[in-house]
Amino acid sequence: MNKSVGADEGRAARREQILAGLASAVDQMDEKSAVQLAREALDAGLDAYEAVTEGLSKGMALVSEKYDKGVYFVPEILLCADAMYAAIEVLRPHLKSGEGAGRATVVIGVIEGDVHDIGKNIVRLMLEAAGFTVHDLGNDVPVSRFVEKAREVGGGIVAASTLMSTTMGNMERLVVALRDAGLRDRFRVMIGGGPVSASFARRIGADAYGSSAMEAVRIANTFSRRACTARTLDNERQP
Amino acid sequence: MNATQTPKQRIGAFLAGKPVDRPPCVPLVLNHAARVLGVKVRDYATDGRVMGRAHVAAYRRYGQDLITIFTDTAILAEAMGTQLHFPEDDVARVERPAVAEPGDADRLRPVDARRAGRLPVLLEAVRHCVREVGDEVFVACCYPAPFTVAATLRGTAALARDLYKNPSLADALLARSLALVEDFAEAVAEAGGIPALVDPVASGSVISRATFERFALPGIRRGMAKIRSLGMPPILHICGRTATVIDLMADSGAAVLSVDQIDLAEAKAKVGGRVCLMGNVRPAETLLGGTPDDVRREARRCLADAGDSPGGFILASGCEVPLETPAANMMALMEVTRKHDE
Repeated sequence: MNKSVGADEGRAARREQILAGLASAVDQMDEKSAVQLAREALDAGLDAYEAVTEGLSKGMALVSEKYDKGVYFVPEILLCADAMYAAIEVLRPHLKSGEGAGRATVVIGVIEGDVHDIGKNIVRLMLEAAGFTVHDLGNDVPVSRFVEKAREVGGGIVAASTLMSTTMGNMERLVVALRDAGLRDRFRVMIGGGPVSASFARRIGADAYGSSAMEAVRIANTFSRRACTARTLDNERQP
Repeated sequence: MNATQTPKQRIGAFLAGKPVDRPPCVPLVLNHAARVLGVKVRDYATDGRVMGRAHVAAYRRYGQDLITIFTDTAILAEAMGTQLHFPEDDVARVERPAVAEPGDADRLRPVDARRAGRLPVLLEAVRHCVREVGDEVFVACCYPAPFTVAATLRGTAALARDLYKNPSLADALLARSLALVEDFAEAVAEAGGIPALVDPVASGSVISRATFERFALPGIRRGMAKIRSLGMPPILHICGRTATVIDLMADSGAAVLSVDQIDLAEAKAKVGGRVCLMGNVRPAETLLGGTPDDVRREARRCLADAGDSPGGFILASGCEVPLETPAANMMALMEVTRKHDE
């Protein structure tokens, strides 16, 4: 019995070590270690989904923090993301379908008129690392394209960003267009980017403003839980 | 001092440290000149005569103290083989970088700075402006510094990865880029213009101080030295945030630093004794989106923050004047310095 407790403790320690290693490999732009640790995670019997959410995405959170603080810049973010994606490729076949299914689907894009997509890409990476299914529409995305995709996925979160004050008006048009299409009740709308703010989000009728990539994920998580609750209630109402 | 200096006399006196009738004002009228002439951006960007006429028209309307010819940041890379997409009425974008694959670097050939790609468009625009209004205003031709040329030669994300994973390729592309930057400086000077370098990809919004120092600064230094050797005052413009690198910019040999997202009082404190500062009315928020009153307020704030900078101060926009900027806002900006001393 003592032996098996010891083995459990050993496994727990190994698990912590691998997860911390994955986070650090992403944070340190170390693609090779990230891939190797992803393999070790599978060999050690770790859950692949956990390796993403407790390992890689924690690493990406560190990266985002460094970016916000001006320690990391665009090249560093790209290399951290490369390390994360390389590890995800190893883990992907082992991510059982349905895992992360509690999380909403996100339709994300840079609003029409703007091609600055660095911030949006980071938010996308963070959401993916946190287990969200993300449809990335790219940059300079017309409002109609957001609506079309939202109709296709049926419900979840619409996330729009811009770096240019000239395109902020298109965000308001997006909220209106979702309402006109009868989709507004099925989506939470979150916005982000340099010139927008929480008060702007309130004014145009969006649900939330994310001031950073981490904040965006935190908000998406709360939306996801509420979406799940709503779904559960719906299920209960069914005969 | 009587208010009869032409922009040319004013800038000349100013840069020589002699008295001026009023502080110079140089909003970065670039592609916006196409709007003043009433032509599409693509026609402006591909026809030197149209580009030249647009800048003469803009100068006649606004009377700014320096003509600044420019259209896109990829024009040197294009001369070296990068393919661009030209929207009918917007600035050209990179479609396929010349060095999309690392092996493509071996196929780069030296190019003729007077003939390759659209470089003759810029040179013709310079000659046109010099011919038409060159007796009263200097004509600057702004083009990318080596780091931005390399980014448009390779693709920005690819170059960013090379900095860590294949620095020797980055260095090779930077050396190629520098050679054309230097040659083109001579071509601009021959045409009667002042070569000026812009390095948006080297912005503190994009790369760290360490990356700037290792990869961007050496090329800027060589470019500035080249321009100085031609007997011209070297001007360096970097948009976005620059607080992290402003001291390095000042060490580059530049005589004038044109800056965007930085507190001018801070810039003055850090480097105002060594260089002339130029900036930084916000292009989108204020020039495009604000009222004439907003423009006046912000321009006065710039002058209050840096107007007394020991190395001199030129009132300007932080970055390119947006295409659709209302003429009333431009006039409001120009008026601020005209009335400054009254």
